[in-house]
Amino acid sequence: MSTPPEVVRMPRTGWGRHRSLFQWSQPAFWVYATVVVVTALYAFAQQQIIQELSPTGWALSWALLVVYGLPLFLAIYLLDLYEREPISLVLGALVWGAVATTALSAIANDGWGLVVARLGGPVFAAEWTAALTAPLVEETLKAVGVVLIYLIARDEMDDMLDGFVYGAMVGLGFAIVEDVFYFIAIFGGSAGGVLAGFYVRVVSSGFYGHVLYTGLAGMGIAYFVSRRGEASLARRTLVAAGLFAAAVVGHFLWNSPLLDFFPSSVDDIGDWLRIPLAAAIKGLPLLVFVLVLVRLARRRERMWLEAALRSEVDSPALTATELRVLLDPEAKRRSRRDMRERAGPAAERLLKRLQREQVNLAMVRTRSTTDDVPELVRQRQLCKSLRDALLAMPGAELATASARD
Amino acid sequence: MSVEAGSLLPPPPLRERRWIPAIALVALIVGVVSGGHALSGALAETHAGAIAVGDSVEIDPLPGWELAGRFEDPTGIRLTSGSASLDVATLPFGGADVDLLREYVDGVLAAQAEQLRLSQQVGPVRLDSGLTGSRIAYVGVFGDVQTPVEGEITAVVSPTGTGVVFDAWAPSGQLRMALDDLHAMIERAALA
Repeated sequence: MSTPPEVVRMPRTGWGRHRSLFQWSQPAFWVYATVVVVTALYAFAQQQIIQELSPTGWALSWALLVVYGLPLFLAIYLLDLYEREPISLVLGALVWGAVATTALSAIANDGWGLVVARLGGPVFAAEWTAALTAPLVEETLKAVGVVLIYLIARDEMDDMLDGFVYGAMVGLGFAIVEDVFYFIAIFGGSAGGVLAGFYVRVVSSGFYGHVLYTGLAGMGIAYFVSRRGEASLARRTLVAAGLFAAAVVGHFLWNSPLLDFFPSSVDDIGDWLRIPLAAAIKGLPLLVFVLVLVRLARRRERMWLEAALRSEVDSPALTATELRVLLDPEAKRRSRRDMRERAGPAAERLLKRLQREQVNLAMVRTRSTTDDVPELVRQRQLCKSLRDALLAMPGAELATASARD
Repeated sequence: MSVEAGSLLPPPPLRERRWIPAIALVALIVGVVSGGHALSGALAETHAGAIAVGDSVEIDPLPGWELAGRFEDPTGIRLTSGSASLDVATLPFGGADVDLLREYVDGVLAAQAEQLRLSQQVGPVRLDSGLTGSRIAYVGVFGDVQTPVEGEITAVVSPTGTGVVFDAWAPSGQLRMALDDLHAMIERAALA
């Protein structure tokens, strides 16, 4: 490696650094911790009331929501292919949504509901309070959680996809606790009521709610903080405000009587089938919008990985074929499967580790100012030693050789 | 010179500056959470104690409940907590409380409802003053409120021939959370 490395434009100078939630010297951490502890008292009291209303329904609600929440949690967490967010920060975002935002929103919505009733009268309030108060109140309080996570660990939010992950986690926490409330208070709390609530709020419309709203707002926040030096302040503000507004409008539309094709009562199978269709009319456009944004963000991450590793190709750490495999998630999965068939599970695990360390190499590369930074040299050696160990395994050489062709 | 000197001042230490966004977020949280309560307090009409409904009924709104309006024919008021409402109407009535309940259901509620379901049983009610009445629950869809509404009607007739109907209602699912307040206000109502 005597030649100077290729100059790569890398906005993500903090890529690969990992910080936990517990940053004792950060004021934002203490704000986060204080609000969560105080609101937890309120949140637990609320859960106690709901549990007393219907103990069986409460337990069933939580059981169903764990079944729904766990896969969604993993799907969001694994969305960032190359740099998973620290688990303590991700859980911190989830807790903010589940505890702090639900408790604060309950108090805030009551107050703003009174304002709507005072200005518009009770009849207007009955129809429009949910649409006029909850979107602004809840989206603001959830977005505060994303900003706090950023302030606690600034290095961790270095792209829009990171913002989506933290925002979606806040939204997921909020949605789960809100669903428990709805299953008991709105759908009656009996086993049948809880199942009906699960069908309406999760099966029919689980893809359209808070996960999307706060994911969008989180992307805006991440854009604002991660594109310094790349986009003007005005542009960053516009994008962040625009995405926050899109989240609020999506939430408003969902809560409002506009485009409301839900049946007023459910009497037959046709009414049950109408529910997912009505939900899709309100929620599908926003879902498509978010999916496009997430896809673009992932493509950008892929470009960064490629840019970061381009200068490492044909070094002892990385071959051109290995880079191609790294950039294609499907090819990566295929290569591991192939390795398992040829050389067994131990070789598959070793290949997985090699690929992970090659991604880490990209992150070390982005942080390195010169080509001979000790950390970079060590990472290259680690990758080489892993590949050597892999090639020494019976059957693995053939697989690696075929992958190079 | 003073401007130049000012521009040469060093920025505040990093630790100090880190508090600024944290404090700003706390202020935002406080504003969002308490702003509605403060604004609704400023917008609310001031009531010193109980509110008169006609000449013979007084009702004392609990904290968080406000007078949303008055209406005539029959004379009445509407109290609201934002999510739930309590309509109180008074009229001269010669029959029993069950008759008053039936008249209100048939003449007012059913007449306005696009869909209406009533509870199977009529329950007894006793006010703090010792007067007794009847209560029935309902779920319905009404022309002026597109969302389904849950409600509870309480009818009481005083010995002097004053009939009072309390119609507590809220969008479906929200009544349960306000029932303690509603029952307390109804039970404390004073009838001449």
